[in-house]
Amino acid sequence: MNSQWMRSMMRLSLGVLAVALLPGCKPAGSSKDAPQTKTTGGPRPSEILKAYKEHSPPQLTFGDDVSQFLDWAGASHVDEREDARKAIAAAGNNKTVVQALIKEVERVKTVDHTRALLALALLGETRSPEAQAFFVEFVQRPLPTGGPVIEGEIVEQTHAAQLQAKAVDGLAYANNESSNKVVTDIIANHPSKIVRAEAINAYLWNHDDSDDARKFLSQYVRKDELILIDRVRRTTGENAESFNRKLDQFLKKHPEVVPPRPEKLEARQKPADQRRAFDVKPPDF
Amino acid sequence: MKTIRTLVAIVLVGGAIGIAIVANAVCDQTAASQADRDLWNTHGCWQDFFLWQYRAYGLNSNDWSGRGWNDACNNILEYPKHWNASFLLTYGLLDNNDQSFHGTVDYRATAEAASSNFHNSIHDTIADGTAFFGSYSGGAVTTFCPLYNSTWQNSNPGSRGGDFEHEGWHAWMEKYNWNNGSANGHRPCTTNPDGSCTNGACTINGCDYFYFHGISKYVFGAMWENDGTANRFHSPNQVQVEYLCDVADQSQSWVPASVRLAAKTDADTRAAQRFINGPGYACGSARPW
Repeated sequence: MNSQWMRSMMRLSLGVLAVALLPGCKPAGSSKDAPQTKTTGGPRPSEILKAYKEHSPPQLTFGDDVSQFLDWAGASHVDEREDARKAIAAAGNNKTVVQALIKEVERVKTVDHTRALLALALLGETRSPEAQAFFVEFVQRPLPTGGPVIEGEIVEQTHAAQLQAKAVDGLAYANNESSNKVVTDIIANHPSKIVRAEAINAYLWNHDDSDDARKFLSQYVRKDELILIDRVRRTTGENAESFNRKLDQFLKKHPEVVPPRPEKLEARQKPADQRRAFDVKPPDF
Repeated sequence: MKTIRTLVAIVLVGGAIGIAIVANAVCDQTAASQADRDLWNTHGCWQDFFLWQYRAYGLNSNDWSGRGWNDACNNILEYPKHWNASFLLTYGLLDNNDQSFHGTVDYRATAEAASSNFHNSIHDTIADGTAFFGSYSGGAVTTFCPLYNSTWQNSNPGSRGGDFEHEGWHAWMEKYNWNNGSANGHRPCTTNPDGSCTNGACTINGCDYFYFHGISKYVFGAMWENDGTANRFHSPNQVQVEYLCDVADQSQSWVPASVRLAAKTDADTRAAQRFINGPGYACGSARPW
């Protein structure tokens, strides 16, 4: 093989690589094109919402009902929260429903995180012994140690920990001697900070954030995480006065959390701001 | 000799193509998460909105071709997922001055392209790969596959919009010359003898401070303000957590439960592990449903 031929091949290879690494070779001059769709335009969301029938959950009687109920629950509105709670409370002793929810968690836990969270939430709401037994086993499953890493975070580990944290909400909500024992064990020993933090939060919420509960938990919480007992929670619908009072108390008790003064960079030459004209106002909802 | 040359040619060219395929590992375009689908069904692919959104976010067809730019109602593709998140950000919040951390006017100005007190002009683009959720550099907000692949935990409208806030806040820091650290615009962690990497209470390699502030301390529209001290300041992860918390607890009635639950989960996770002086606030009730 002569060196001239090798150089030619190297140039060809580099050329192929460079072309392939371009973010798609698109015709020049198309940058101002608007996005397209093959379907015709529909009504505004406010019109679509008028057709939504509120407070009409599907039945939840048999295992086969669970999939449709989860579809409804996921799409349900803020003021339908109690509808879901009533339906799931009525099905709490229905073992076929509980088992179907557990089966759904297992089916979707690696394919649709948002649906798995929904199924775990509804399962926790049942307070059923079968659900509790499942949660006890679920939160002890080993967390993944491989896969993609973003900023030092093992993404699949966080994925699994978030689901385990949701299971902990169900354990804490049962709020009985055996479930609380599991929760305190998680607070002391679980390998994920995400799960430990939620266990503390959920235990306190289920004990009205009382001083006795905080004192009780302090014997289980890791020393370097004691601040989690005093963590400020913004509860749904809480007003500024209530929240700000809690925040003031937290900052007085933990002056160490006040951050240092922000740092300025040395002044740098910046490119001129390329102002473009946009419609500030979006279309009416 | 000819056979050897042919083999070398195949190896070199094939290798180059292989490297290119790995470098450009494409996002999954086979499904949308339930949260994405549930939100989508509230607008049913609203064309007036995406024809406004692509300009408001400074999108360029070259960047989004093959990702739903010409199929903008196909909600398993990246561009429809992008504008689905913008829809939530634009219309989904309650804007209660006595309860919300910030208002839509703040979150929109942070995410959208227009130059303002929040940042100089920016534009949103997309890239394949799984090494980042998002990035900001030189006016470009780039989002990556973990925000679009339906099996990943951040592939939901709230988390995607949360990333718009996070990256938009890097643009704020750039506009006002703030130094937030050397780890891609955050403060790095330090490796401990046990192999973990921490910085105070932060457990990842990209830590921020949480600049605690009460509700109503920033009138709507004033999130960009600071007084040069820790008393009135925000970090990128903090803005992200506050947005996610407002989606979870201060959303319009029609925002689907799946969207709110995913936002709460992301907020609580970030608040627990991304702040040197953490934890940040916990969001909402700990009741399972």
